Amino acid sequence: MDLNKLPNDKKLELCRSYFIGGCFFLPFVWAVNVVWFFKEAFVKPAFDEQKQIKKYVLLSGLGAIVWIIILAAWVTAFQLNRVAWGAVGDSLSFIVPLGRA
Amino acid sequence: MKYRSNIFTITFITVIHALHCERLHNQIYSSIDGSAACFRRLNGTHQMGCSSSDNGSVGVVHMIKEISDAQWLISNSSAGPYVAVVSTSLFNNIIDLLIAEPNHVAGVLLYDNSTTRPTAFSHESKCPNEYSAGPGSTCSSQDSNVWNSKGTGLLRRDIPFPIFFVPDSKVDEIDKIEKCYNRYNLDKNNQIGKPLCSLQLSSFMYAAVNTAVCLRRSASSAFLTPTKVCDPLGDYNVYYSLFPRSQENNGEKKTVTLVTARIDSASMFDGVAPGAASSVVGMVTLIVTASTLAQMIPLADAKLYDHNILWTLFNGESFDYIGSQRTAYDISRGQWPPLSPLSLSDIKLHLEIGQLGGSLPLYKENSSWPLYAFAPYGSVLPTEITEFLAEMSQAVSSKNMSLEPVITTNLPPSSLHSFRRIFKNITDNASLPELLLVDHRETFTNMYYESALDLYENIDFVYRNISIGTDGKFIPTTELLANGNMTESDPQVKISRIASALAQTLYQQVTGKPYVGSIDEMLYCLLRSQGCRLLSAADYMSNTDDATVGKPAPLYVGVATWSSTPAVYAGHLLALLTGTHLDINRTACDALNVPGFSNYYLRGWNHSGVCVQTTMNFSQAVSPAFIKTDYDFTSNEFSTWTESVWQGMWVRVFVTAGGGGARLACITGAVATVLAALITYWLQANANIIFPALSTVPLVGDAAPAPILRSVNC
Repeated sequence: MDLNKLPNDKKLELCRSYFIGGCFFLPFVWAVNVVWFFKEAFVKPAFDEQKQIKKYVLLSGLGAIVWIIILAAWVTAFQLNRVAWGAVGDSLSFIVPLGRA
Repeated sequence: MKYRSNIFTITFITVIHALHCERLHNQIYSSIDGSAACFRRLNGTHQMGCSSSDNGSVGVVHMIKEISDAQWLISNSSAGPYVAVVSTSLFNNIIDLLIAEPNHVAGVLLYDNSTTRPTAFSHESKCPNEYSAGPGSTCSSQDSNVWNSKGTGLLRRDIPFPIFFVPDSKVDEIDKIEKCYNRYNLDKNNQIGKPLCSLQLSSFMYAAVNTAVCLRRSASSAFLTPTKVCDPLGDYNVYYSLFPRSQENNGEKKTVTLVTARIDSASMFDGVAPGAASSVVGMVTLIVTASTLAQMIPLADAKLYDHNILWTLFNGESFDYIGSQRTAYDISRGQWPPLSPLSLSDIKLHLEIGQLGGSLPLYKENSSWPLYAFAPYGSVLPTEITEFLAEMSQAVSSKNMSLEPVITTNLPPSSLHSFRRIFKNITDNASLPELLLVDHRETFTNMYYESALDLYENIDFVYRNISIGTDGKFIPTTELLANGNMTESDPQVKISRIASALAQTLYQQVTGKPYVGSIDEMLYCLLRSQGCRLLSAADYMSNTDDATVGKPAPLYVGVATWSSTPAVYAGHLLALLTGTHLDINRTACDALNVPGFSNYYLRGWNHSGVCVQTTMNFSQAVSPAFIKTDYDFTSNEFSTWTESVWQGMWVRVFVTAGGGGARLACITGAVATVLAALITYWLQANANIIFPALSTVPLVGDAAPAPILRSVNC
């Protein structure tokens, strides 16, 4: 979809719906929202809905970053401790590696 | 028309290409056939054995002719990693070096050369089954006073690289590798950047860590198709009683002498477990003694005797006494044998025929063969033991052999340990008299205990092919000795004398005369060829496929989910040689149902089928650890051995490129990419100059589709 061909109110609607969609544990939707609407929010000359778009983009970005931090922390902790956790580590694994601990 | 001919040409070229590719693969790789891989086993606490990397470990061939070659490999080599190709005579000297510095080692290819065998070769630990030993055992791997003094313990170590074994019969494969090595790798100090002869060893093991972890992983992974990563070791025990036991009433229950031996042996390599002196001689002695007694005492006379003999062959004894632990555990729960369970008070004597045969080569010049009877007591012996020893000594000394009692609680590895552990209180106060018959004293006389080299040569066995008629009649020993077909120093004669003395002792009333021919044939069956007459007569009539002729069956216990052949062979031999042969056809045989007996329709000596009625039966030899719920695998109470699952095991030899070609391809690729980027940039920058006319033509127009479509079609 080409944002340039979209009227400003539709842009706001789209940005808001992406923000709301991301609230359902979908941080990737937030990340897409940030990338997609970054130019609209911060680069384009001011228009009526820009303030609100800016708000959604900022919130989405913040949410995505928090998610990334949480996920990165979990992945690191899991990868470092899977073996030490034993049975718990195995049951948390989707694919258990063959031939090693 | 022209298109069609083009398609034909393309198809033709593709087919030719495919054929050529196949041939190219064969031109690059040459597989090493008949090799056996070291695989991974796990117990309650550790993983042991070998595994390659996922796609097979690749290394440059290095022939090890001297210890210095191995030292060069770990310290001075440059083009590593390497695959060390080493003979059995040097293996034990260099393997510790390689394990200590595994960085340059991709694997080891071990080959056997019958002309240069080592004097000792055992990878079992110095105290086999040390951690399952009964009370009173003093053997400790750290001490110098050990049973298996030549044991390296490699079988119980986690080896960081794959090892493959090439038997003596496949020596031409080693010649192939050596030829390749001599052509490419001889210039040891100038190997970098040169094409080199290499080996790829593939034996990737799925299981890891220990039994608890691998069983857990085999059971889990609910999302995807579950992958089994390991199986418990186990198979079947074989038991047979002289008289049917299930016909006995409680009031007149016969006491029992329990005579046991073991079936299995082991080695580090898959499908290689000859076990001549480790287990076969003991097992053959038991079967022959049993058949001798069965011939001497007619079943109809069962009522005349108030004593019975229960012959049992244990399986999986190499791995913490799997079979005997299970049997002792089942006896303690009153569940063995399933029909009319045995209680401990019924057992008058437990005699184990332990490791025999290791000292046969030491006495090959004469007719003597000193045996030792280990009795696990202090100064006071139970009367059953003293009586048995007196009778047995007399019986063997009349045959120019000797039996020396050894009174010590430090028993050699044997199934007695399982009974002494599980029935500790009962064995301690000597109400279950126990005796172990072996042919060694302080240390094993068998220098190849549980190894790939425990072959028929190790017991000095020469097959005499003493004729058995189509009726299965063996020529008596005395006749064979008289006409010079056999001599008194032959292992067959010695084993027959032991069996005879044993039978005589077990039943003083009768004098057993085992036929040496049956020993000759049985040793041949178990050590040389499973396609022998005795096993083929003992096979199921319904079994039409012929056994692998010319090869003995490996005696490794295997995994519990697959039954392996040794227990079946032992059971059928017992049935054929001790059972009653009924002259009825197959349907009548299958329909027959006499309590206490089972019926087997076997091929018989003339392959016309014979119905054998026998008390022989099989019982599970799976460790109690795997049948008890919530068993703690680290408790060391029962055997916890499992074997890893693997996908395939193969070895191939090929010449690796020196690396020049790969570097050239890489550089050319990089240059081409940069060049293409520059040209694209330049074209884009000057597009208006180069394509002045096209810039005005719309991209999607009537003129455009034709050339685009054409190019797609092409």
